Amino acid sequence: MSYLDQSIRDIHRALVERLTTPLDLAKEVLARAKASKDNAFEMILEDEALAFASSLTEPEEDNLLWGIPYLAKDNFSTKDIETTASSNVLNGYKPLFDATVIRKLREKKCVLIGKTTLDELAMGGTGTTGHKGITYNPYDPSHQRMVGGSSCGSAAAVAAGIVPFALGSDTGDSVRKPASYAGLVGMKPTWGRISRYGLFPFAPSLDHVGFFTRSADDSAIVLSTLAGRDDMDSTSSVKPVDDYASASPANLTGKRIAVIREIVDSITNPEVKASFDRSIDALKEAGAVVDFVSFGLPELQAIYPTYIVISCAEATSNDANLDGIKFGPFLGGKTYQEVMSNARTAGFSELIKRRFVIGSFALMRENQDVLFLRAQKVRAKIVAKVNEILKDHDVIYVPAAPGVAPKIASSSDKLSNEYLIADNHLALGNFAGLPSITLPLTLIDGLPVGINFMGRAFEEKELLSIAEAFENISGLSGLSVHEKKEARL
Amino acid sequence: MNFEAVIGLEIHVEMKTKSKMFSASPNSFSREPNTSVTPFDMAYPGTMPRVNKQAVINAIRVANALHMTIDPLVRFDRKNYFYSDLPKGFQITQQFHPIGRDGYLDIEGKDGQKKRIRIERIHMEEDTCKQLHFADYSLLDYNRAGVPLVEIVSMPDMRNGTEAMHYVEAIRNIVLYSGTSDGKMEEGSLRVDVNVSIRPYGSQEFGTKVELKNLNSTKNIETALDYEIARQSACLLSGTPVRQETRRFDEASGRTVLMRVKTDAVDYKYFPEPNITPIRLSDAFVQDAIDTCPELYDAKRERYLAAGLSGTDADIILSNIDMAAFFEASIATKPALSKIVANFLIVEINAYLNKKGIEMKDLPLLPATLADIATFQNDGYTHKQCADILVHVLENGGTAEEARIARKIEKQSSNDDEVLAFVTAALDANPQSIIDFKAGKDRAKGFLVGQVMKAAKGKVNPAAVAKVLDAELAKR
Repeated sequence: MSYLDQSIRDIHRALVERLTTPLDLAKEVLARAKASKDNAFEMILEDEALAFASSLTEPEEDNLLWGIPYLAKDNFSTKDIETTASSNVLNGYKPLFDATVIRKLREKKCVLIGKTTLDELAMGGTGTTGHKGITYNPYDPSHQRMVGGSSCGSAAAVAAGIVPFALGSDTGDSVRKPASYAGLVGMKPTWGRISRYGLFPFAPSLDHVGFFTRSADDSAIVLSTLAGRDDMDSTSSVKPVDDYASASPANLTGKRIAVIREIVDSITNPEVKASFDRSIDALKEAGAVVDFVSFGLPELQAIYPTYIVISCAEATSNDANLDGIKFGPFLGGKTYQEVMSNARTAGFSELIKRRFVIGSFALMRENQDVLFLRAQKVRAKIVAKVNEILKDHDVIYVPAAPGVAPKIASSSDKLSNEYLIADNHLALGNFAGLPSITLPLTLIDGLPVGINFMGRAFEEKELLSIAEAFENISGLSGLSVHEKKEARL
Repeated sequence: MNFEAVIGLEIHVEMKTKSKMFSASPNSFSREPNTSVTPFDMAYPGTMPRVNKQAVINAIRVANALHMTIDPLVRFDRKNYFYSDLPKGFQITQQFHPIGRDGYLDIEGKDGQKKRIRIERIHMEEDTCKQLHFADYSLLDYNRAGVPLVEIVSMPDMRNGTEAMHYVEAIRNIVLYSGTSDGKMEEGSLRVDVNVSIRPYGSQEFGTKVELKNLNSTKNIETALDYEIARQSACLLSGTPVRQETRRFDEASGRTVLMRVKTDAVDYKYFPEPNITPIRLSDAFVQDAIDTCPELYDAKRERYLAAGLSGTDADIILSNIDMAAFFEASIATKPALSKIVANFLIVEINAYLNKKGIEMKDLPLLPATLADIATFQNDGYTHKQCADILVHVLENGGTAEEARIARKIEKQSSNDDEVLAFVTAALDANPQSIIDFKAGKDRAKGFLVGQVMKAAKGKVNPAAVAKVLDAELAKR
């Protein structure tokens, strides 16, 4: 078993015992990355990774991330390294600074191996809209199935065992949904727990830094490093950071778990339903008190339109800086309007323009009341409901997706009449800014599907403890395409 | 038919904080272009705003001076539009929750009476970058991008150009003396947009509003408004409606010139800035900002009057904040010398500054030295003698005493007995002058004073001589 397929703690032990080196690990990662056929990479940083890895010669026993290779979604700013967010509008753009999370990981001597693909500007849920084309699900070598998005490349790479963890960003479910399709642990903590400085904004009030790992313990280790106040992001919290890495599987006896009835009821896939039911039985057996709670169908149906209005409105403003004047391709023009129009017309795909139009429309003076402000009111109402549930419960527990990864042709990022509650509810965690973690539930015909736990604000440690307890039930900790596991649920 | 003008002002003030409104880059746009810039100022993706604490303190101080209600929850919003001088494609401002609301300022009206101008709001925002346009290209200087601004919006309470001028002067004094800004209209650190309409006296309706720009001095505001009010009146009297438009003041002709006709107002699609969570200011923070505010113009003026200065003298000194600071430093330990010090500043020092073409802050003189020179005058040296000492110090440096010795300046006696001796001698030597004086020839007295001064080699005080001479002449 390659060290790459092991947990961060196991790799760390091997590094400390000098059974392997950061350079050996980096070389193996590079070999796997190059062999990968899933189109997960914007850029592989071979020279930089090898140079940095070879400089790491004295293992740091108390630093679990020392020498650990990782990947970052290509919407995290990396100094002097092209960062495009998979959009042509940013081709050639080299940030002048590192995102705070990139800096923190480098300070921990983590080795950045490359930048991963995403849906253009992180807007999308399919992993099919980036400027490098479709990113595929490693569980389907026939390349018929998506891995989901927008953090598609990071999800695909961790699922393919290329690295033990990868950074993603999550505005609606962009880490936690692909985690479900890729059999991974996907987590975003409380809004403000991790600095967003250097993360290209999509919709700041909903944006979170997240990450993919193959176990809850690995997530705890990564979160321990990423969490904390950063003066460069004034929205980052000054609350002290818990020692997440010391979390151990929770004793579920007496834990109160809320299951949102309407979400479960909306699942039509009988295998997902049956597996989820078994998981509830198992949780009860372990001593948890599981309550089915009603959220309200109209509220749940309102999630997607609310999300679209708020996220598109913020996005159209955030991305107004991409005008070809300061960075990105400059395509000329006789007037400043022409310069901007030329750069933006050529730089953005149709789907992005569509979102900008929606966002602008929602913000127009005559529409704000019925669109933007109404969406904010609905958001507040939904958040109040979530917090009400969490007053009496330790976590909210739901299927992370209605089924396994869909086939690519059957889905698109265009708005459609087809509406699935179970496909959109993860945005609850973004609306409320609450910590949320997706874990593999089971495998159906070899394809993974996940569940999601959402906890109270800044109670990441409790959430991770429950997640670790759940892994003991599911038996799917450490899952990857290299490490096939027997599903129990 | 007589018309009444309705005037409201929007004033943008650039704050002289150390760093910019939302970034750490130095706030010094006089530097080489594009050298005071951080990635945030150029809207690099992933950069985030960080609110400048000093800017908030300044805004609180100005709001307090304008008797406004201060909102302790500081919130910001985005104003969205595309323009080449706007790096982010939006400006961070305070549209929905300005830091200050509902204030007023008392100014002097045209008739000299006190007039209260209501102020709607004061809010913080960031400046745009500076553009230089050439025939086939434009240059952008991002040094100015993100410079902190406060915008002060008055109610339409002014009725003529003089009031508007006084209002702007009063605002400038507040931002200047509170340490918020250098308030230089000619350099654009205080920018005034004027909205003016006219209506028949007695009417409560507003007429069509015209916006005036390019007003780079307070005097120009008065001139432009006088012209504009007359122009609008002429329009209405001739049956031509006033158009809603923006007009530029042309300094050379003293007229306003059409810039553009206003169409529908731009929709700025305002919404709350998601990257700045609302900041709750504690009562103590707000109170401290107010308590530590440098003394303002009006308070200083009152103090100067109490120290014996005339209103005109106080205004002259206060018209130059550096001179006011120099004045106060000079009289710090010798408040009794206020009038003498003020006199030197207003006359000799202002003349010296003009002659040399230098600023007060570059004056080669220590406040303590001026105090010493004033002390000489207080001790009986003549003003002329002290002015000579001052000139010597300005040109050669050194102390007042060194200058006095170098110029061989001796104190003139005012001792009546000493003076009497010289006077008696002069009268005795010039009987014809006595006769001339008695015959009503005043010149004769001047001649006699001259004789005394000559005989005494300047060591007697001319005023004392005149006094003694009067008495002696009366006796003869």
